[in-house]
Amino acid sequence: MKILVCAKDVPDPDHVVVRVREDDRAVIGEVSEYRMNRFDAFAVEEALRIREALGNAAIDVLTIGPSRAKDVLLRGVGMGADRGIHLETQMDGYLRPRTKAAWIATYARGKGYDLILTGAMSEDMMNGQVGPMVAAFLDLPWATQVIRTRLPRGGKNALEPVSADICVEREIEGGSREILEIALPAVLAVQTGINEPRYPSLSNLLRANKQEMETVAVVLAGEGNEKAMEEMAGMEMPRKMRAGRHLEGSPSEKAGQLIAILQDKALLS
Amino acid sequence: MNEKKNTVVIAAHADGHILPETWDLAAFAQQLAGGRTEAIEIYVVGENIGPMAEEIAEQTGLDVRAVSCAGLRYFSSEVYCRVMGQMLSNKGVLYIIAAHNSQGQEYAPALAVMLNAGCISGVNGLRFDDGAVLFQRDVHGGKARANMISHAETTVLTVQPGVFRPDAARRAAPGRVSRQEAEYTPGRTRVSGIQKARADAAGIAEAKVVVAAGRGIGEEENMPLMESLAEMFPRSAVAGTRIVCDRGWLPYSRQVGVTGATVAPALYIACGISGASQHVMGMRGAKFVVAINTDPQAAMFNESDVCIVEDVTTFVPLLLDVFRQQQNDNPVPTAPDNEESGG
Ligand SMILES: Cc1cc2nc3c(=O)[nH]c(=O)nc-3n(C[C@H](O)[C@H](O)[C@H](O)COP(=O)(O)OP(=O)(O)OC[C@H]3O[C@@H](n4cnc5c(N)ncnc54)[C@H](O)[C@@H]3O)c2cc1C
Ligand SMILES: Nc1ncnc2c1ncn2[C@@H]1O[C@H](COP(=O)(O)O)[C@@H](O)[C@H]1O
Repeated sequence: MKILVCAKDVPDPDHVVVRVREDDRAVIGEVSEYRMNRFDAFAVEEALRIREALGNAAIDVLTIGPSRAKDVLLRGVGMGADRGIHLETQMDGYLRPRTKAAWIATYARGKGYDLILTGAMSEDMMNGQVGPMVAAFLDLPWATQVIRTRLPRGGKNALEPVSADICVEREIEGGSREILEIALPAVLAVQTGINEPRYPSLSNLLRANKQEMETVAVVLAGEGNEKAMEEMAGMEMPRKMRAGRHLEGSPSEKAGQLIAILQDKALLS
Repeated sequence: MNEKKNTVVIAAHADGHILPETWDLAAFAQQLAGGRTEAIEIYVVGENIGPMAEEIAEQTGLDVRAVSCAGLRYFSSEVYCRVMGQMLSNKGVLYIIAAHNSQGQEYAPALAVMLNAGCISGVNGLRFDDGAVLFQRDVHGGKARANMISHAETTVLTVQPGVFRPDAARRAAPGRVSRQEAEYTPGRTRVSGIQKARADAAGIAEAKVVVAAGRGIGEEENMPLMESLAEMFPRSAVAGTRIVCDRGWLPYSRQVGVTGATVAPALYIACGISGASQHVMGMRGAKFVVAINTDPQAAMFNESDVCIVEDVTTFVPLLLDVFRQQQNDNPVPTAPDNEESGG
C-alpha cells in the first residue's frame, strides 16, 4: 500500500491580523507563524494508522508552497511519514485550488498510490476543492468529509498495490454519516475528529532533519501557464449581522455591564 | 426550447425530499441572472424525482429539468458528475450553481474539472461592480471576505445555505418541467446506507440558554468553568464547537454547527469561539448572542449582540463573582413571573 498525504502550510489563525486600508480593502498583516493545516494533521495521522493496521505501507507527505512550507514536511515525517515531497513554488500568495490539484495529479500520476489523502479544507482559504479536483484529474473515485476508514484485510504483502474496496464513512448534515465502499485507488478528503493526531516524536524529527526532502520545482510543471479561471480581486471586512455592541471598561466593569444587560432581558434566574 | 438557458441550478434533495438549500439556490440564480428568469433552469437528478421537479417548478416559477436516473437511490458524487458532465459539456452554460452542503462540496469541484470550468466555493455574497460580477466568500475563518472574479467560460459555484432567501411572494405561473432520462452506471463508489446522528441526550436543542465553548477556553480543565457559567441560568446547557468535541472535551452530541446540532436559544454565550460559518450556521437562530474572545477581529463578534474582548478563562470567573455578589447584596425574589414553567 502506497499513500500520498497532501499537507498545506497555513498562517496560524491566532496570528492572523486583518488590516483595513483607506480604500476599505482588507489585507492580511504580516504573518509571523505558520503551521500545518489542522485538517491535514488528521490526514497524516490516518495514513499512519492505516500503516499500523496493515503492518506496512509507504507514506509520502507532499506540500506545495515556498521554501517555508518545508516545515510541514518536517512535521509530517516527524509524525512518522516516510518521505517528504516539496513542490516548490516561488509564488507566496493565493494559489488556485485547480492549479494545485493539477500539480498534485501530475506528480502522483503513474506512481502507484493506492490512497491519496487531503484535508477537508484549508483553514486560510477554506475552498475545500483540492481533494475532489485531484480525483477528477486522475480519474479516481473520491469521498470528502471522511470521518472513518476501514481497510480491506491487510496481508503480508502490505506494500503491494491494493485492489479492493475501502469502506468509508463520510459526514453529512447534522452529524449523520453516509457509508460508502470505494474501489482503490481513491482520493479521500479527511474531516477532523477522524482520529487524534500524534505529536512528532523526537527520533522521527531527527530523522526528518537528516532526510533530504524531494524537491520538485513546479515552475517546470506549468506555473503561470495555467489559464486563470478565477481570480481573487481583494478582500474586505465581513458584514455585521447583529448589533455588536462592544462593552468597554475594566474586566469587572464589563462583567457588571453584562449582568445588567442579561437582567434587563430577564435572562438570568 | 428556444431561449438560452445559461444558468443552471442543481437542486439538492435527499430521501425523496427537496432540501431547503434548493430555494436559496433559486433565489441566488435569479439575483445572478439579473431577474432574467428565462435564462435559468433547475436540474433535479435522481430516482423518482418527478414530484420534486413539479414542486420546484411550482414554488420557484422557474423551468425545471427532471433528469430521471433509475437506480440512483442515494446521492452519489460520481454519478452526479457523470450525468451532469455529459449533459452540460459544450452547452455554453455560464454558471452552474450547487449548494455548499455535504453534497455540493463533494461533487462541484470535480464537476468543474471535468467541464474545464472555474470553481468558486462557499459563495455568501454577490456584488455587481462596474460590469464585473464579484462572488464573495469567507476566508480566514470568517475574519475577512474575499471578492472572487471568474474569467472562465463556465463557472461552478457552491452557494452557502441560508444566505440568499427566496422571495416570499409566490409567482403566479409555475415553470415548465421537461423530462429526460439518464443512464445509471454504477461507479467505483457504492453508497450502502446512511447512519443517522446520535440523539441529543444533553438537550442542547431545547435549552433556553446555551453556553458554548470553543478552542479558546484553552484546556479541558476549563470545562467546569463553562458548567458554572451555565448554572447562572435556568434551563441551560453546555455545548461546543467541533474542535472542542474533536479533543474529547465534550461529546459530539453537544457540537453546534452544520455537522452537529442546530440550536435557537434565547441566549447563546460563545466562549473562545472564532465564528467559522460551519459553526455559526448551527446557532444563527439564537435570539441574543454574547461573545467573549481575546481577538477583537474574531468573526463571532459579527454574529453577536454583545461583544466582550477578554480572556475567557479570567473573565468568566470574574463574571461569576460579580453575579454571586449581586445575588448576596440583593437576592432576587423568586417571583412567579421570573420562574420558568416546567423546568
Ligand atoms: C465540512 C465541515 C463541517 C464543519 N462542521 C462544524 C460544526 O458543525 N461545528 C463547528 O463548530 N465547526 C465545524 N467545522 C469546523 C469549523 O470550520 C471551525 O474549524 C471550528 O468551528 C472552529 O472552532 P473554534 O471556534 O472552537 O476554534 P478556533 O477557530 O481555533 O477559534 C478559537 C478562538 O478562541 C479565541 N481565543 C483564544 N484564546 C482565548 C482566550 N483565552 N479567551 C478567549 N478567546 C480566546 C481565538 O481568538 C479564536 O477566535 C466544520 C468544518 C468543515 C470543513
Ligand atoms: N499548498 C498545498 N500543498 C499541499 N496540499 C494542499 C495545498 N493546498 C491545499 N492542499 C490540500 O487540499 C486540501 C483542501 O484544500 P483547499 O481546497 O485549499 O481548501 C488541504 O486540506 C490539503 O490537504
